Amino acid sequence: MSWWEVLVQQTINGLTRGAVFALIALGYTMVYGIIELINFAHGDVFMLGLFISLAWFALLGVTTTLTGWQLLTLLPLVFVLTMLTTAALNVAIDRVAYRPLRRSTRLAPLITAIGVSFMLENVALLWKGPAPIAYPDVFPSVDILREWFGVDSAIFVTTKDMLVVGATIPLMVALHYFVSRTRWGKAMRATAQDRETAQAMGIDVERTILMTFFVGGALAGAAGLIQGMYYNIGMWWMGYQAGLRAFTAAVLGGIGSMPGAALGGLFIGFLSAWSDQYISARWTNALVFAILILVLVFRPQGLMGERSAEKI
Amino acid sequence: MTGPGVRAAALVAALLAYPFVDKALGFQTVHAVSDGMIYVLLALGLNIVVGYAGLLDLGYAAFFAIGAYAMGLLNSPVLGSPLYGYAWSFWLCIWLAAAVSALLGVVIGAPTLRVRGDYLAIITLGFGEIIPVAIRNLGDITVDIGGWRPIERLNLTGGENGVNPIGRPYLPGVPFETDPVPWYFLILIIGAASLWSMNRLRDSRLGRAWMAIREDETAADCTGVNPISTKLLAFALGASFSGFAGSVYAAKLQAITPGAFEFQVSIMLLCMVVLGGAGSLKGVILGGMLITVFDRVVLTQTTFMVRAAGRAAGVAALTTADLTLWRWFFFGLGLVLVMLLRPEGLAGRRVRPVAVGADDADDPMVLEPPPAPRAEAIPRWLRDRAPRGAATDPRAPILDVRGVVKQFGGVVALNEVDLLVPHGAIIGLIGPNGAGKTTFFNVVTGLIRPDGGRIMLAGASLAGLRPNAIVALGVARTFQSIRLFPQMTVLENVLVGEHCRLAATVAGAVLRPPAVRAEESRARARAHELLAFTGLGDKADELARNLPYGDQRRLEIGRALATEPRLLLLDEPTAGMNPRETEALTELIGLLRRELSLSVLLIEHDMEVVMGISDRITVLDYGTRIAEGTPAEIQRHPKVIEAYLGTGGEQDLAARDRSR
Repeated sequence: MSWWEVLVQQTINGLTRGAVFALIALGYTMVYGIIELINFAHGDVFMLGLFISLAWFALLGVTTTLTGWQLLTLLPLVFVLTMLTTAALNVAIDRVAYRPLRRSTRLAPLITAIGVSFMLENVALLWKGPAPIAYPDVFPSVDILREWFGVDSAIFVTTKDMLVVGATIPLMVALHYFVSRTRWGKAMRATAQDRETAQAMGIDVERTILMTFFVGGALAGAAGLIQGMYYNIGMWWMGYQAGLRAFTAAVLGGIGSMPGAALGGLFIGFLSAWSDQYISARWTNALVFAILILVLVFRPQGLMGERSAEKI
Repeated sequence: MTGPGVRAAALVAALLAYPFVDKALGFQTVHAVSDGMIYVLLALGLNIVVGYAGLLDLGYAAFFAIGAYAMGLLNSPVLGSPLYGYAWSFWLCIWLAAAVSALLGVVIGAPTLRVRGDYLAIITLGFGEIIPVAIRNLGDITVDIGGWRPIERLNLTGGENGVNPIGRPYLPGVPFETDPVPWYFLILIIGAASLWSMNRLRDSRLGRAWMAIREDETAADCTGVNPISTKLLAFALGASFSGFAGSVYAAKLQAITPGAFEFQVSIMLLCMVVLGGAGSLKGVILGGMLITVFDRVVLTQTTFMVRAAGRAAGVAALTTADLTLWRWFFFGLGLVLVMLLRPEGLAGRRVRPVAVGADDADDPMVLEPPPAPRAEAIPRWLRDRAPRGAATDPRAPILDVRGVVKQFGGVVALNEVDLLVPHGAIIGLIGPNGAGKTTFFNVVTGLIRPDGGRIMLAGASLAGLRPNAIVALGVARTFQSIRLFPQMTVLENVLVGEHCRLAATVAGAVLRPPAVRAEESRARARAHELLAFTGLGDKADELARNLPYGDQRRLEIGRALATEPRLLLLDEPTAGMNPRETEALTELIGLLRRELSLSVLLIEHDMEVVMGISDRITVLDYGTRIAEGTPAEIQRHPKVIEAYLGTGGEQDLAARDRSR
């Protein structure tokens, strides 16, 4: 491979990774925007999304690669089922672990979030065992350049890459429409800006928060399903790392900002793919955390966010 | 001997006898207990950061790693340390390790401590992740830039293999090589010394500053506590204790690998602190012991029992059950349950609910009128301090503000505001809501940086000074919405006020030389006098949050007076008070000016108070000064009447504000 082929390949890898990070990051940023909580367990909801989607495939009897009409019926069905399950899980987590602490200090729900994260990881460990598990190759993998266009190149673009982009973009468009055009979305934006005033205007704040956790959980579930179909592997500990990278993405884009989370996710995707290639995969984690720290210290409002003053 | 004395003696005897009893009975638990004590020591260090200073540290294991690796690298032949192989090596390295940890605590803390609480937690987590990654990768560094390799296969840390062996401590005749008992006593001594110093730190100037920061950072800053250096000290001291723990751990285990310092260790330590009760030394020890016992004894023993029961009942699933796999589930569950059910921890101070109606100032059940302030009750030391301000040119204004501008986005909150407080004067600052009065206070006290203009205190510029530095120069304030340190006692609140007039350092706080003892007892005596003066003498040991509203207002003024101010800024001091309390407070302000020649700048909505007490009044409206003059002039000033009522008379004005 020539140097530019390596770069193009790694950029494509970065794009697919980044799409998954972006979906997770949206859940972080929405929850933070509305109740100022770093939902530490969110990455583990993503991880469970992968395992839950696997369970749905198994329930539906899918063990091999989907074909033709199955792709148009079963796959969307599993998307919906997985997203509903993780959404319900996320709402349940909020009800049990965060809601009783709404009027508490900021750090109290963060500590319970860490506790929930450990519990979810342990559940996955006991459910699936300590070793990485194989995720069946349900989505057909076709080498697009060679098979469809007859181009012989060292670069690989497969239908799976198309799946990631093809699933992520509609989800984000739907989310954008939901937040900017629906009553629920308006209630969310109002609650995020000022909870008391929103309440005074007749918005049911608790239901709005519930909806936020629901949507965030659904996106994390979709991300888990995509991740499983793309990489064909799942580990009980993957939620922690993916969650922290996604959180970094959310912070980078300006926490609370949804376009920021999407772009931040892509950026972290590119960066981690390039770092794996050009520095060393061993250092990628350290690099991502260094960026997280630098942004939090020097530009806590993110690269695109606006500085907001604390009330005195 | 008294009861507690007997109990303490019994505890010491039990601790001293334990390893020999263990040996006699053949339990062989000394190793495990010593390891558990190392974790308790770590949890105690973390408690300084989380419990005292209120900074959530999710990467504390990084400091444990740094302590262990400092010992490992300095006292091991693996990387060729010149210190290895001497009898004194361990005894020197343990101090070096603590110093290195403390230093890294400062290096990591310095740039990050300005960050808000939950962000800081994530930053510490980031460092907690980076340190093990760095240790792993620094064992084999090759820099390859297009074939040019300036560094090839350099080993700085031992990499994944870790460091092994590590030099043991040496004392003549003590078998550290073969026997766990000397280790037990070594760790016991280090633990006892750490506990002793932590206990002293907590009850010191520094300990109070930590708690004040934890309770309300802004209020602490405005009471003369430097938040940055105070937090840094918490980080550094917390890290130094983990340096001791880490170095003993490394020497005891004889081998360290990066895997021993992962995120889970930080969370387990956090569990110990939160479970027992953050901020309580007894609680943290209890939490540490409970978790260690649970982890090492309960889980394994229950597994045996479940398996035995499974075999007896013939249930195959139970015979292979392994509860130790549930370890992290239980730790997570523990964190959630403690935060939901008992956030103060098992041994923490149970916070009493605020008495019903305590914040209702008009409560007719409050029969006891507030004590009238008396001139002879003014603490002598406060009188002695008073002339200090006057020693500068008494004709010079204490506060001279010229042309101050502050914009928030497009809103001009302060527009070229001038204000003069002559020495020993009471100046009123009034205006409709949102006129910029509190913003003006925030600018003068350094909480907000002005966009233009200058602020001079007795001829010296306050530009660019942090709030705590301005307090040290003699400007104290109260807040519109009371900002006490709610979980500290009334006495401690006032002692925090004295913080900037005290000098005890970390070493002083721990060793308590005569000078520090004298300073501390003087500070307490002064605080008691101040409380007696403000009518809170019998409530010194109550938690501030449990005081009724009027008492909280007076405590806030008492805390401000404890900073020995030349200029006192009062933001709506009578808000929410009943007429009798208002009257008493008005008298108090007058008394302070008469007796101590204290200058006062007063924001007040109660026109009767403001007109009655002020020498001159400045009126703000939409950030602009619309009038300045004596109370009589202000009452007749057409612009003021317009700003308040559109049209109308001063009688309506006063009436409206009384009924507020």
